[in-house]
Amino acid sequence: MTEPDRTTLPLSAPEFAGTANHSLRGSEPDWNLIRQPDPPEGAPNVLLVLIDDAGFGNPSTFGGPIQTPNYTRLAEGGLRYNRFHVTALCSPTRAALLTARNNHAVGFGSIGEFSSGFPGYTAMLPPECAPLPRILRDNGYSTAAFGKWHLTPDGQQGPAGPLGRWPNGWGFDYFYGFLGGDSGQWDPCLAENQKIIGTPAEYYDEQHPYYLPDAMADKTIEWLHGVRGQDARKPFFAYFATGCSHAPHHVAAQWADRYKGQFDQGWDRLREEVFERQKQLGVVPTDAELTPRDDAFPAWDDVPPRLQALYARQMEVYAGFSENADHNVGRVIDAIEELGELGNTLVIWIWGDNGASMEGTITGSFNEMTMQNGIPLTDEMQLQLAERYGGSESWGGPIMDPHYAAAWAWAGNTPFQWGKQVGSHLGGTRNPMVIHWPERILDPGGLRSQFTHVTDVGATILDVAGIPAPSRVDGVEQEPLHGVTFADSLLDATAPERHTQQYFETIGNRAMYKDGWWLAMRTPRIPWVVTPEALRPYAPDVWDPDADPAELYYLPDDFSQARDLAADHPQRVQELKDLFWQEAERYKVLPLLATLSAFFGIIPPLEATDKIEYRGDVQNVAPGMIPRIYNRSYTISADLLVPREGAEGVIVAEADHLGGFSLFVDDGRLTHTYSMMGVFVYRQQADTPLPTGEVTVRMEFAADAAKPATGGQVTLYVNDAPVGGGRMDHTVPMRFSAYAGMDIGRDNGAVVDLSYADRQPFAFTGTIRKVVFDVKAHPSAGDERAVHTVAHHGHAAHGLSA
Amino acid sequence: MNPTAGLKVLSLPFDHETTDVLIGSYLSHDAAQDDYRAALACGAYLHGAIVVAKDVTGKVTVEQSDHMAREMAQGLGTLGFLTGLMVLPLVPLTTGFGAVMGGLLGEGLHLLTETKVKGQAATMIPLGCAALIIAYPHSSADAVEPVVTRALSKARGEAQGHHLQALRGALAVAQKEMAAGQT
Repeated sequence: MTEPDRTTLPLSAPEFAGTANHSLRGSEPDWNLIRQPDPPEGAPNVLLVLIDDAGFGNPSTFGGPIQTPNYTRLAEGGLRYNRFHVTALCSPTRAALLTARNNHAVGFGSIGEFSSGFPGYTAMLPPECAPLPRILRDNGYSTAAFGKWHLTPDGQQGPAGPLGRWPNGWGFDYFYGFLGGDSGQWDPCLAENQKIIGTPAEYYDEQHPYYLPDAMADKTIEWLHGVRGQDARKPFFAYFATGCSHAPHHVAAQWADRYKGQFDQGWDRLREEVFERQKQLGVVPTDAELTPRDDAFPAWDDVPPRLQALYARQMEVYAGFSENADHNVGRVIDAIEELGELGNTLVIWIWGDNGASMEGTITGSFNEMTMQNGIPLTDEMQLQLAERYGGSESWGGPIMDPHYAAAWAWAGNTPFQWGKQVGSHLGGTRNPMVIHWPERILDPGGLRSQFTHVTDVGATILDVAGIPAPSRVDGVEQEPLHGVTFADSLLDATAPERHTQQYFETIGNRAMYKDGWWLAMRTPRIPWVVTPEALRPYAPDVWDPDADPAELYYLPDDFSQARDLAADHPQRVQELKDLFWQEAERYKVLPLLATLSAFFGIIPPLEATDKIEYRGDVQNVAPGMIPRIYNRSYTISADLLVPREGAEGVIVAEADHLGGFSLFVDDGRLTHTYSMMGVFVYRQQADTPLPTGEVTVRMEFAADAAKPATGGQVTLYVNDAPVGGGRMDHTVPMRFSAYAGMDIGRDNGAVVDLSYADRQPFAFTGTIRKVVFDVKAHPSAGDERAVHTVAHHGHAAHGLSA
Repeated sequence: MNPTAGLKVLSLPFDHETTDVLIGSYLSHDAAQDDYRAALACGAYLHGAIVVAKDVTGKVTVEQSDHMAREMAQGLGTLGFLTGLMVLPLVPLTTGFGAVMGGLLGEGLHLLTETKVKGQAATMIPLGCAALIIAYPHSSADAVEPVVTRALSKARGEAQGHHLQALRGALAVAQKEMAAGQT
């Protein structure tokens, strides 16, 4: 069989080379017609592992405090890359990883939930940029993705799609995971292929509770076994993207307890310890300097002892969570080894899609969504809220959605400055990478220090597989890859550095790298602060990006960006500034700060706010697709059939006790519970029992004003007669949950009202004919626009932390 | 430790005394208990102390010093200590919350919420929250008030007169102060 032209996808079917006569007499079949596309000879299996929200100084493999024996095992049998770079944000790195192109150029200047009207920020993969899984699949690979996706726009995460931007649409044969930016590990709202399947039934098994990292490994192994059961030779491409170690930091106590007392010394001392180990391991040059702590982070010694105890536990949980991820990746690797295929499996394992996340703010939070909703909580408030939900020992359990304090992230990014979101500095952009390929790597345990970038990964995979980047896919001419292969470096430690120039940009923080020089221009805003005061300097008529402070580093001599040379090299600073603008224009980075555009009044046209009807069997509506009730008056009504013996259970529920609402019947009475991010929890109950037969119930919320988090009055009705109510002084302004969905007739996953937690999912025992949301527009156009703006602030705020 | 170990009980009568009442609000029962125990252990004379908490399922718990029980038995229960809790712990959060969230639209929430909160006479402790009320002679103030360290908001009232009258007056002042959002 002749080698097909792989530059055009799908591969064209071969011409019929047999004979087709009027009858079978003399007809000759051509069996090539029914062959599937063959991969190039010797194309290896590929396992691509991506850890979430983790830093260069986290895994023990790179000197960190988190024990990662499987990562180390692969590094010792393969290679460590210590100058590998990502974007400083989740979706952008994933888009670059899976397209081998710069993230803005494929519409991912920001995250999947945030779609803007600027080309680099649409979250819409252009047809000119066919992604890696599609290319591999069309060239004969079996492809599958497990875990975090985060590349599907918010408004497309339902059965009406369009589904082209779900994982299957990107070229994965199989997907098991979650579409959003993060997920609870105990109670995820999962998708499988092209359906949201919600929280697994095992969640309700107290003896053997569901845990997503375990399930991801199980599903991956099951898929591998299935593929091999069908085809012993077809190469696979498995993309294993953990929800760990993004918040919520969920892990069983026995994992966290392995680190008891190991962080009592605090983040300042931890950085020093890690830095020493990094030098001993050789992943950091001996002449490197440890960068100092910015004033944005408190000194550990200034933290009151009571809070030190909480903060130390935060890091213990994070560490246990991360070690568990290492464990589960190890299970997948073991399974490949058991199949006898580890030798010819290219394992690329990237520890962090960006630097460790500082979005927990100074204090950390019992609920990661408090920051995104702009709720300022003091350290004492955070401590008390943690106590409310079980205290330090429950940190990591299902009752909280915790995030650690920002300074732990800074320590996790040792020896660099800053972290996630800060695209100008290595704390946000330089992450560990390990590559394992026993059949090809000649110096196992070696170190590679070529400058490499996340866009290079796809180019390298195609290179080693012998597959060209296609020039035409589905009839659409393709944008060339922006990444370059580093395959040479797999074999040769002295291979030339091919990636010599790269821009970086995340939320206005930007850098320009060229031939060892790194221009860093950081917007002075503290990453986790989105107050009006913090944003005001970046308003369109105020901000002059060229006036931002410029720092210049020469990375070959300065591994950690500790020595700013800008003052000594003004000419080079200017050259790199100019080059950045050229690259920004070329790759659709402009306008800078498009991610924050909603904060400056640049928002899409007003959406209709009207009636939305759900029949009684609708479940697992993605959190970004629930009716936009935030900051408005609204009504939830339901037509019920209540049997003679009465009924109980949930009529409709969104998310959980850390943010959400539930309209339900308990003890025969209509009840409404509303959790304002777990800080305030309101409950109203009918004074009279629910009648039987055909019953209409209604919950009306009358907002006080068109203001974010507006208070208002709740009134409950049964058959149009008021039966109870109460005030809610604060409501959720932006988003209840990052991951938990809305259900009709039950409360899947963690429940909204903990009084029925022992009966979860507390399915309604009568019949729900339909549930109707009637979201009222504010009478004033100005008010309505203001609320619409806040909704997009929510998207933007979510974008800062997903 | 016996939380009432440090409680000193003076003999009555209570004519012409100055009484202080301190109300603290909390987001957790644990925090309120910490301050409650600290007050009982501070060594100063207290008329009494009470912690009221509502957990996230709605279950209300009340913990009070032995001495408070005696005071209640003598008729103080009719004062309705719980009425002091109706605005808790909204005020401190309201202020900070409004500063940021309201600011997003260039407006402040706190004006709205303070007004509304004042009008909510029937509101009980929010789910998950707790409150502490301590009553003590004014002469104990220097010992009691510094040990109440975890309250998210504190309001203090002071009044003179016969014991019941002074207590009632001090409580009213504290409630008024709490409603006004002073900490």
